[in-house]
Formats: sequence, structure tokens, C-alpha cells
Amino acid sequence: MATLTVTTARKAGSGALTWSGRATPYLFMAPYLVLFGVFVLAPAVFGIWVSLHDWDYMLEGKPFVGLENYSALFDPASAVYDDFWMSMRATGIFTLFSVPFLVVLPLGVALLLNRRFRGRTFFRGLFFAPYVLGVAVVCLMWRLLLDPNLGLVDWLLGTDIAWTTSLPWAWVALVGVTVWWTLGFNGVIYLAGMQDIPRELYDAAKVDGAGRWAEFRHVTLPGLRPVALFVVTTTILASANMFGQSYLLTKGAPGGETRTAIVYMLDMGLNQYKMGSASAMSYVLTLALIVISLLNFRLFRGRS
Amino acid sequence: MRRYTALVALAVVFVAPLLWALGTSFKSKSEATRVPPTPWPAEPAADAYGRLFEGTTQTPVLRWFLNSLIAATGHMLLVLAVSSLAAYALARLEFRGKRLMFGVIVGTLLVPGFVFLIPQFLIIDQLGWLDSLTALIVPGAAGAFGVFFLRQFFLGLPRELDEAALMEGANHWHIFLRVTLPLSKPALATLAVLSFMSNWNDFIWPVFVIFSPDYFTLPPGLSILQGAYTIDYPVIMAGAVLASVPVLILFALTQRYVIEGISRSGLKG
Amino acid sequence: MSLDGLTRRRALGLGLGALVLTGCGGGGGPRQAAQQQTGAQATAAPTSYTGPAVSLAFWNGFTGGDGPFMKRLVEQFNGEHPNIKVAMNVYQWSDYYTKVPAAVTAGQGPDIGIMHVDSVATNAARQVVLPLDDVAKALSLTEADFSPPVWQAGVYKGARYSIPLDVHPLGMFYNKTVMEKAGLDPDNPPKNGEEYLAALEKLKKAGIQGHWATPFPFTGSMQFGTLLHQNGGRLFADDASVSRFAEEPGVQALTWLVDLINKGYSPKNVGQDADFIALQNGKAAFNWNGIWSINTLREVKGLEWGVAPLPQIGTQPSAWAGSHQFVVFRQRKPDQNKLAAAKVFINWISGHSIEWAKAGQVPARRAIRESAEFKALKEQAAIGSQIDYLYFLPSVAGIGDASAVVDQAVNAAVLLKKSPKDALTEAAAKADKILEQNRKKYGA
Repeated sequence: MATLTVTTARKAGSGALTWSGRATPYLFMAPYLVLFGVFVLAPAVFGIWVSLHDWDYMLEGKPFVGLENYSALFDPASAVYDDFWMSMRATGIFTLFSVPFLVVLPLGVALLLNRRFRGRTFFRGLFFAPYVLGVAVVCLMWRLLLDPNLGLVDWLLGTDIAWTTSLPWAWVALVGVTVWWTLGFNGVIYLAGMQDIPRELYDAAKVDGAGRWAEFRHVTLPGLRPVALFVVTTTILASANMFGQSYLLTKGAPGGETRTAIVYMLDMGLNQYKMGSASAMSYVLTLALIVISLLNFRLFRGRS
Repeated sequence: MRRYTALVALAVVFVAPLLWALGTSFKSKSEATRVPPTPWPAEPAADAYGRLFEGTTQTPVLRWFLNSLIAATGHMLLVLAVSSLAAYALARLEFRGKRLMFGVIVGTLLVPGFVFLIPQFLIIDQLGWLDSLTALIVPGAAGAFGVFFLRQFFLGLPRELDEAALMEGANHWHIFLRVTLPLSKPALATLAVLSFMSNWNDFIWPVFVIFSPDYFTLPPGLSILQGAYTIDYPVIMAGAVLASVPVLILFALTQRYVIEGISRSGLKG
Repeated sequence: MSLDGLTRRRALGLGLGALVLTGCGGGGGPRQAAQQQTGAQATAAPTSYTGPAVSLAFWNGFTGGDGPFMKRLVEQFNGEHPNIKVAMNVYQWSDYYTKVPAAVTAGQGPDIGIMHVDSVATNAARQVVLPLDDVAKALSLTEADFSPPVWQAGVYKGARYSIPLDVHPLGMFYNKTVMEKAGLDPDNPPKNGEEYLAALEKLKKAGIQGHWATPFPFTGSMQFGTLLHQNGGRLFADDASVSRFAEEPGVQALTWLVDLINKGYSPKNVGQDADFIALQNGKAAFNWNGIWSINTLREVKGLEWGVAPLPQIGTQPSAWAGSHQFVVFRQRKPDQNKLAAAKVFINWISGHSIEWAKAGQVPARRAIRESAEFKALKEQAAIGSQIDYLYFLPSVAGIGDASAVVDQAVNAAVLLKKSPKDALTEAAAKADKILEQNRKKYGA
């Protein structure tokens, strides 16, 4: 039924496109590749080189230390071991709890907003609006609203919860504020994706007598697959790279338990000027993300 | 009706903090931190906006606003141009090294951004772009986000139209311009907003590459207006209001393209 | 508030100022400190610049409250020195500490600037700033013109890298209305540990948690450091070879802070800045905060407040202080004329720092500090009276990295996650490793 239609619609004729000139694909790629090479690839490779040194761009001596920056991360006696893994744990917790909300809730909101009704542009703007604010504004306002002893939220709820200074509440606050702030981001991506799904498929589903749920499962979801892969991948990455909220909302409290990996790396690299060590940490985090992303890609492919 | 109820309930949760922030921009400094908090300004005052626009040579807020506008628009256009070209090749064309290229491009998304900071700074210095808006516009466009984003959307577009065009003897350049881009309005509009915003709100990179207040964008600029010791909430919120306006306008404009997406055009015919 | 703290002290240098403050705030600040020009000229050797006209780029982090005062001083200087034109650029402090090394590397650095005293050694080691011994000599400035700890704090590896502008210590701010409500004499705030605890007890009986113990660096770590020094301890050995904050004086100090919570004098889980907000709203009676709070509190309508030196809780008086110091930046092409002009500028500002005191600072220059004009600034003078027992971190490159782990320990203990002793002991082990790393990095 509907699923089948999608697949055929999509797959039909793939490979039928012929080359019009061998150089064409490379010409299409060229402008981006130049920028990419200069501003991303070269720096990324340079970062690996940095991670093999005791590196500070201001100092003339940048001694080569081999894999020392990496081995220190796995040596419980090193200065960085405890803090690094505590921060990786914090990032892991945040990612684990924020990603499901950030993937599912925006989809729900997008579904609601994709229907035709009066004022839908207004509502779209409304859900997107928090994302317009910078992370600093978001965190400062919520820090005031969520203050454990003086905040408006506890005052309104009549509760006495230390949203920013105790566990597990600090995690609830970090995830909640992040969902509030960035829901609109994934929401508009889903919405754009939904416009790509040919109307005929819905019509066909209706003819087949599919209900709302069946329509969602057999038309919307499959049609959104490429976009959903994008959303899931970038949401995992964004969550794994979270730092503003941890830095401003909880400031790592209590005792550094909500300090995320990126906050720690930024501190190491740009505050303590130990850029070699910070780069090594980044690449360890990258490695972890590669594993997760491969699983993620496989999952999406496996289901298609 | 049920949908409205759910929407309105959700909307209230979303909007209440925003209204509170807006209200705070009309409070006095001491009312902003009053206990118990006032949900809405008890003695509304606009002096935060006055402080914002005092505009001395040290803090030319309108100039920063303009710089932000130029930088974000330039960045957005560059992203749309280079990413859509590359994404088209990655989604629609077959060529040697494609999988590897795509892998490497997406792979760089996994590297924490700050690894690039110092190397990019050194490169920008070599190029002589320091302390100019060029430094704010160009390097960010090399990010993999736009390419990955558009490729995913292009993959979802039906190929029938491409093929029809090919049979009529069109080349890929024509298909790209006449078929793919028009069909991708929702995606392009969305990417436009997102890339505009990422540049608009960027605060780390400008600190490294911009030295003169004349070339500041809003985020580093507004932080100068802030006192060194106490958080001036009304002025922060007033700044946020100012900074939100262009993005919301852009959003409203682009949403029109999102709504009249492919479902109502293209394929049907 | 936290900005200054996080900013310069560790937290990410990185533009987080902007992050923190995508807001703004005009110089709404202390405008009242009018224009009257100072009489108290310093007594240092007269200097003047007679070379060709030069312009000096002067960068600093004097935003919001401080900015207008320094700007007026610079304008006055420019008016009096036709052949020197000083152009001041202001950045959020955290941005400034990120930006300046980048600009110096690129050969676009400023000529002169301001740094906090605990950043001087690191920037000296990283060759961002130049040695200033000859400037001090040319101006015949000596320790006697300032105060020993402030003056010595600018020396790194035997060379002087900075000239003090001011010191900004902690003081004890108090809410008079709250004190009265609890039957305390608002004109006679507690001076020692006994009186302090007795006052807190009285406040508690009146239903007020008098001293909110904040777990955050601003100013929780500063309170901890103060108490530790009052107990005769040190954060680090004088040469920063090892940390010493986990020794008995440190454990006692942190225990004292944690006990404020255990005894009900402070709420649990105090949020960032909540202690200062509580003072302003009559929820707390006392707040140990920086001298810069003076102008903030002045703006709060209807607030009856006062400020006194910190009470002496331990066996000796002591107070945390920061200090703004002049520095001169490394250039690709050194210009002797600019250097000569810079000397004149530094000396002149230092000599006119009574104006600067009005921004909420204690002038470093002794002659000005002891002038009648400074004494007339009641609040500043009260805090300034602590000048002889202020403490600074050892002048060692990267010392901030090691003291950041103290912040974490204070945070964990004050949030009751760890016992003071455990928190400090663990932190000390970490700090020692960082100190060792830094010796390797910067050369011992």
C-alpha cells in the first residue's frame, strides 16, 4: 500500500540520470570544497597535529609529546582524568535525556502545525520564537526564573525545588530549558520535510481507508525518513556539544557534575591554554560520536 | 477544536517566559530582581531601551545592528549558494569519491567546533581578513550543516521531473536551477533562516577576529553595554528584543515559501 | 558579578562575556559622581612627553559602571596632552582576555591596557605583555607609593610587568532595615566571629537567614579564601610549588561556611547571585561582596544599606582583593615614542585616580588613598581600610588553572555534596598536578 508507493516513487529511475560531462559533479562541488578545505578540513587535520603537542599558540616552544595528551585521558593518576570523564558523563546524561524529547516533541508540534487552520503561521512563529534568542539570554532569564530560593517558577508552583543547584533537578532544568529553546529548530525542519511528501500519497492513503494513525505511519514517517535522519543526527551532535546552558544555567553545579565535556574542553583550551590536551579530548569525543552516528545511520538504513 | 486546545495549551507554556522577558525589558534594574518576583512590570519604564540606544562612539548599537545584518545576510547567501550546489552533486550525481567526500564532510560535523577556532584564526590572519566583516561571513559557510541538510532534502525529491528534463536535453545546471531549487523552496527557506540565525547569534568567533567596535556585531557589542559586575536584566532583555526583530521578520517571510511547498506545486502536473 | 569572576578567572575566556551578556546596559551607572576635578595629585616624579604626536590604543574591560569614569579621565588626559591621543576601546573582560593575545599575535594589539593582577603572570609568560621595570624606574615609583602586596603582585620571575591602578577588596555589605527588624544596631555591624554568629542567631530568631552562603566563585570562593587567610592559611605555597588550601585552616574555613547552612543562617542550594539579590530584597542581612557593589546598591530605591570591613572570623584580619593594573603590550615594531607617551599616561591616570575611586574602587596609589578626598568617599574608604591585609594569589603563570579547582571544591561542599575536608583534599591533589603541569609548560 502506501509505503510501497513511496518506495517506487522514489526509487524509480535512480541511476537513469546520465552524466553530462565528467567534470560536472566536481564543478558543482568545487565552491564548497574550496571553503571546506581551507576552513574545516585543514583546521581539523591541524587539530590532530596540535593534539600531539604541548601546544599554546602564544608560546614559541610547542614540544612534541606524542600520544601523551591521549594517554593522560585514560590514566587515573593524571590531572585531567577525573574531570574529563565526569564531563563526558555529564554530556552522556544530557544527550540521553534530551535527544528523545528533541526528536519526538518537535515532530508532534510539526504535525499539529502542518494541518490547515487559521493562524498557523502565527503558531509556527510562536514555537520558533524562543530559538531566536541567544543562549545567553535564554540562560540568564531561566536562571532568574528557576532560582532555588527566589525564583518565579518555585513561587508559582508553590514548590521548593533547587532547579539549578541540586541533582537530579539540574538535569531536568537543563533538558527542559533546552527543549523550550530549540524545539522550534527541529520543528521547522520537520515542517519543511513534510512539504516534500507528495500530496498524492495522502490521497491514496485516504482511498485505502487509512486513518490518521495509519496515514502517519505509512505515509508521513517513511516520507520523512531522510529528513528524520538529519534531525536525529544533528540533534545528537547538538546535545553532545551542549555548553552554554551548562556554563550559564548551572555553572556545573553541584561540584562540577553538570559541567559538560565541551565546557571542560573550552576551559582547558582557551582558559588554561592547554590546546594540545583540549584537542585530544575533542578527538576522543569525536570518536565516540562516530560510533553513535554510524549506529544511527545503520538504523535508518536498516529500516528502509 | 481539540487541536486548538492542545496548541493553545502548548503555546501558553512556550510564550509565558517570552512575555516575562519582554516585561523585564520594561522594568527598572531593581524591579527585575525583586523578591517575590513581579510577573509583569509593576512600574513600567523604558529606560533600558534608553540605555540601549544611548549610542556613544564606544557603543554604536545601530552600527552593530547593521553589521550583524550584513554579516548574517552575506553568510546566509553564501551558505545557500555553495551548499545547494554541493548537495545537488551529492544527492543527484554519480562520481568517483562521492561516498568518501560525503563521509568526510559529515564527519567533520562530529568534531567539536572549538577545535577549528585557533587554526581558523591563524588562517584568517594570513588572509588579511582580521577585523573585517569578511571574517564573519566566509569561514562559517564552510560548515557541513547546510550540505548535509540540503542533500537529505534533495534525496527526498522525486526524480521524475529531473528525468523528464534530461530527456528534453537539459543539462544538470538547468535541472538544478529550474527543477531542484524551485522544488526545494521549503528546505531553502528553512536553511536560510537557520544559517542567518547561527551567524546572527554567534558570539565566540567575533571575539577572536574583530577588534574595532566599529566592526562588532550585536552579540559581542551588546555585552559591552553590560556592566562588569551586576547583570543588568532589563537591558539584556531589551537587547534581546532588538536582536529578535529581524529574525522574526525573516521567519515570517520565509514561512510563506515553506507553506506553499511542493505539495501545492510541481509534482502534481 | 559572575561575569567578572568567570571571565577573568578561568571559566572560558572565549567570548563567554558576550555569551553571558548578549544584553547590555548603558552607563546608567554612577553618574552622580560628578565632574569635580581632583586636587590630590600624586607625588611621583614629574614626567612629560615632548616627542612627535602619537596616538595610543588603550584597551580594557571597563564596561557598564566603570566605563564612564575611565572615559572621562581619558578625555581629560587628552585635553591636557595635545601631542598624545589616547583612544580607548572597551570589551567585556572575558572577551578582552581572549581578544588581546589574539590581537597581539596578529600584530594588531593595543599599546596599553589593564589586567587583573592574577592574570599578569600568565600573560607575562605568554609574552602578551612587556616588562615595565624601566617604566617604574622612570616614574620613580616604588613599593612605598602603593602597598607592598599590591606592588609585589605585579612582579613575575624577578621582572615587573604591571603598575597598579586600584585594588578592589571584598567588604561586608549589610541591610540596615533587616538588622533593625532583628533588633541589631545597624550602625554597629559585627566585627568578629563571635559578634557575627550572635547577630546571625538573632536574625534567625527573627525568621531571617542572615548570610546566604553561595556555592559559586562569585563570591563564595572569595569568602573561602578570605576565611582561610584569616585562619592563618594560604591557598598555595608562596612559590606555588604545592597547594595548601586543604590544610587545617582551609578545612576550618570551609566548615564555617557550610555551618552557616547547617545552623540555619543560610538557605540551602543558593543560586548564582541569589545572595546579592537577597540582600537587596531584605531576605538577608549580610553579603560579603566586592567594593564594586557600592554603585549597584546606590541605585536600588529605598534600600537602607551600609558597608564595613569584613568581620575578623579567624585569628587575623584578611580580605580577598583583586587589583586592576596597567600593562604595556608587545608589538611587532616597538615604538619608543609610544612607550614614552605610555609612561606619561600611566603616571597621569594613576595620579588622578581619585576620580577612578568614585567608580567603586580603592586607588592603589598611597598618596591618593590617604587624601582627604578619598576619605570623604565613605563607603570606599571603609573597604579601603583593609588595604594592609589583602591577599593575592602567588604571581605564577597559570595560577588561575589551579585555583579553579578550589571553586569546584567550595561548590561541592556548600551544596552539601561532599564534606569540606573531602572536597578540599580531592581538590588539592588535582591542583598539585595542575601546578606541576604548569611548571612544565611555562618553565619553573
